[in-house]
Amino acid sequence: MSEPSTDITLDEIRERIRAAGVRIPEERLRLVQSFLRDALRPIRALDSRAIRTVEPAVTFDAATGEPRHGR
Amino acid sequence: MAAEELCWAGIGELGRRFRQRELSPVEYATDLLQRIERLDKTLHAYVTVTAERALADARAAEAALRRGEAGPLAGIPIAYKDLYATRGILTTAGSALLADWVPDADSACVRRLQEAGMVMLGKVITHEFAFGIQFPGHRFPAARNPWNTDHIPGGSSSGSGAALAAGLTVGALGSDTGGSIRGPAAFCGIAGIKPTYGRVSRAGVVTLSWTLDHAGPMARTVEDCAYLLQALAGHDPADPASSREPVGDYLAGIGQGVKGLRIGVPRAYFSEGVSPEVGAAFEAALDTLRRLGAAVREVEIASIQAAPAFMVIMLSEAYAYHERDLRERPDLYGEVMREKLLAGALFTSAEYVQAQRLRARLQADMAETLRTVDLLATPTALVPAPTFSVVWDPDFPFARSNMPPFNMTGLPALALPCGFSSTGLPLSLQLAGRPFDEATVLRAGHAYEQATEWHRRRPRLSP
Repeated sequence: MSEPSTDITLDEIRERIRAAGVRIPEERLRLVQSFLRDALRPIRALDSRAIRTVEPAVTFDAATGEPRHGR
Repeated sequence: MAAEELCWAGIGELGRRFRQRELSPVEYATDLLQRIERLDKTLHAYVTVTAERALADARAAEAALRRGEAGPLAGIPIAYKDLYATRGILTTAGSALLADWVPDADSACVRRLQEAGMVMLGKVITHEFAFGIQFPGHRFPAARNPWNTDHIPGGSSSGSGAALAAGLTVGALGSDTGGSIRGPAAFCGIAGIKPTYGRVSRAGVVTLSWTLDHAGPMARTVEDCAYLLQALAGHDPADPASSREPVGDYLAGIGQGVKGLRIGVPRAYFSEGVSPEVGAAFEAALDTLRRLGAAVREVEIASIQAAPAFMVIMLSEAYAYHERDLRERPDLYGEVMREKLLAGALFTSAEYVQAQRLRARLQADMAETLRTVDLLATPTALVPAPTFSVVWDPDFPFARSNMPPFNMTGLPALALPCGFSSTGLPLSLQLAGRPFDEATVLRAGHAYEQATEWHRRRPRLSP
């Protein structure tokens, strides 16, 4: 089986923009592509089955009251 | 110390002079306010100068000093990044969206420092929402680097870094989601510590990314950072991520040196893209630490190449925070800032979860490495401060950085000066430690600082 591609094409960026319902000018797509390519490279290289025991690093505290964080 | 040198004095020295009545907090605040008036016209570090408040704070500190009731921070001037809510004082987050926001309560950090008797000089500029650099024509002009005003002071705590490097305050607060305390510290030749996640409350600090945001101090020396962190650290129920871990004494052991400490140097990832000048300064810093008695050796962090997944978390969370305003008031964002935020909408939920899983693995791997050494050492920034003309290119990418791995893992990380480029720009060393072991990080940084002169250099400033 071939390795999954870690690249992201401009067409895929356009598809994601359509799915997200946001507007990003066409002349910025290459910049956005560079963000997404760098950010997603480790995720696309990941075999999620190989780390099934790893839970996301997000905590939830059922006892936490109403947060007053931010403005 | 001559009068004109006092603007560079540290917290310990100023406190001693205040207590011995050699210097009045009111006179000192007055002198710094005049210096701000004279020099900040070109630096743009301050977005709001709170002169009347500063003098009122200084008078209160002076009275407390006379009564013998003052702590070590009484009468010491401080500037707050304009991301921290200040009661009754404009808090803009560097954004047109909040250009008129006057909070009705102080952020937890501001409250703690004001209760410690500090003197509020004002609010210092931040990159827009701690993220987007200000382009020409932005509502708030960008702060300039005091070492060379053609260069950026770093971001997003740009005003904090510039004000400290120019002697326009003694201490400052910054915030750090991917390096926003350490980057300006590196580019401005000062010190700054991103504490452990949960060590310092973020309540009342405008959010960029909930799971990556850290609040912390910046100063001209590591010791001054320790003074400030001592007052800032501690549990706060108003911050859901705040830790109940007991607060250490950051000053008691700061002078113990590095003899016997094991310092690990992770070359993979952290040495990629480092400029020759930064690399040479870093190697020289390692030699100094060895000479001081530290055992320095190379180490590996198994999953370090997963660190760029940071961007998935940061952009996704930032988009979640800004989503409604982006839809309803997009024109109030800087154009490039808006497009960068919108990129956060393009990740899938599965990618966000996988990024958090990679983060958990990186956290475990870094903890494993830190079982074999006490500290990690890396260059802070890969290159000296770039020019505005470089970063004002709308296609300027997110630069690869050595700082986000410590936001991903939540570990304490300190930036401090370790040299200068051939063009006179500061270079910086990053020291990171185990969770809640800020004391060892500060101790090692202080030892290095005491053995070197980099932190004593001053920029040539013209009014």
